[in-house]
Amino acid sequence: MRDFEFLRPATAAEASRMLEDIGEESRLLAGGTALLLALRQRLLTPTHVVYLGGVAGLHRIEFDERNGLRIGALVTVAEIAEHPLIKARYPMMAAMAGQVANPQVRSMATLGGNLCYGDPATDPPICLMAMGAWVLTIGPDGGREIKLEDFFVDYYESALRPAEIVVEIRVPAPMSGVTGMYTRFVKTRAEHRPLVGAAVVARAVGGECLESWITVGASTLIPTRLHRAEQFMKGKAVTPHLLLEMAEMAAGDVSVVSDFRGDEAYRRDMIRVVLARTAATVFSVSL
Amino acid sequence: MSQHLIRVKINGEEHEVSVPARRLLAAMLRDDLHMTGTKRGCETGICGACTVHLDGKPVKSCLALAVQADGRALTTIEGMCGADKALHPIQKAFLEHGGLQCGYCTPGFIMATSAFLAENPRPTEKDVRVALSGNLCRCTGYVGIVESVMAAARAMAEETKEVQG
Repeated sequence: MRDFEFLRPATAAEASRMLEDIGEESRLLAGGTALLLALRQRLLTPTHVVYLGGVAGLHRIEFDERNGLRIGALVTVAEIAEHPLIKARYPMMAAMAGQVANPQVRSMATLGGNLCYGDPATDPPICLMAMGAWVLTIGPDGGREIKLEDFFVDYYESALRPAEIVVEIRVPAPMSGVTGMYTRFVKTRAEHRPLVGAAVVARAVGGECLESWITVGASTLIPTRLHRAEQFMKGKAVTPHLLLEMAEMAAGDVSVVSDFRGDEAYRRDMIRVVLARTAATVFSVSL
Repeated sequence: MSQHLIRVKINGEEHEVSVPARRLLAAMLRDDLHMTGTKRGCETGICGACTVHLDGKPVKSCLALAVQADGRALTTIEGMCGADKALHPIQKAFLEHGGLQCGYCTPGFIMATSAFLAENPRPTEKDVRVALSGNLCRCTGYVGIVESVMAAARAMAEETKEVQG
């Protein structure tokens, strides 16, 4: 690892100013589980690392019915998995968080860091996008809100502007009658990164799909919402055939990566299978 | 580049260490403080041999900078024995149930196990396998390790009963 200056701002605004002053050669450090690998492999060689660990107020988890869930950017993945309120009101999210990587990584990795890093092969972005999550930022031009759908721009690239920092993640309060599930698929148990991640959130009454939110990722460059598949499901009676057709459509609609972990055809097929099974569980249908 | 004086409580004892910003937590423990119980294995966050507890939570010390531990509390394998140097029940269980062969991964397994049993004192075998998914052993094949953890859980439950009784 190349040496660097290590800066410890006390507030997010100060951290943002540091990033602005130093420019391109600076990197933010939250938990470090992803960044340290890149530093050690010299994929990244910043001259300055700005550490958020000393910034107060980014560790909170709060909830109320009107504003929904507010998660500070430095809340760890393990804290999300274990949080009683998240387990009770957002079981899909708690279950997802409990499966990320392994226990040691979960207790260091932060949700904010996970989202900002833009790694495609990771679970939280896919799950949270289907749940309608968005982030709050602060930066040189003040703060703004960015929906996760607009947040991921390209491979390891987010919509954040230079010196803009994510301070909070928001998830709407659960609507009544809405259920959801996230599935991570790994090729072998030894893998710590999903090959495919798929999330289905839906509101169904009497076997009819009123509304759904469907996302896939890990085999795509960025987590992707599948609007056409969602429209296809809308207002239809949910049958095994419908779900298989939806999954087929979804798998055809995304552009899929191809590498040593899986070629394009295999990954596309797994997207289809994982999505169909996830939807079947959400709608309580057997395929 | 930047050098930092950090204060860390390690196994209950305060330490002050001067480290360059890029010093890994695992390297600080081994090279600066000569606490070589914590092992460097893959150094890419896969094998878990470097597992320590940071504020009670298991972390991979090859994936953290020493400066990230400033003002916080660490427990390492050296802190598992009591003051009388008696082995911890988890260490005993690994010895008695063949939970190790060459022993290189063992400190990591013991630290991961101790964090896990604190959260889940009565695990199933499946729970144990999932909980230890961040640790690799290249000798034993895990059967002995899982047996050791189950035995440790039983032994610690007995101890708790005795204390409470």
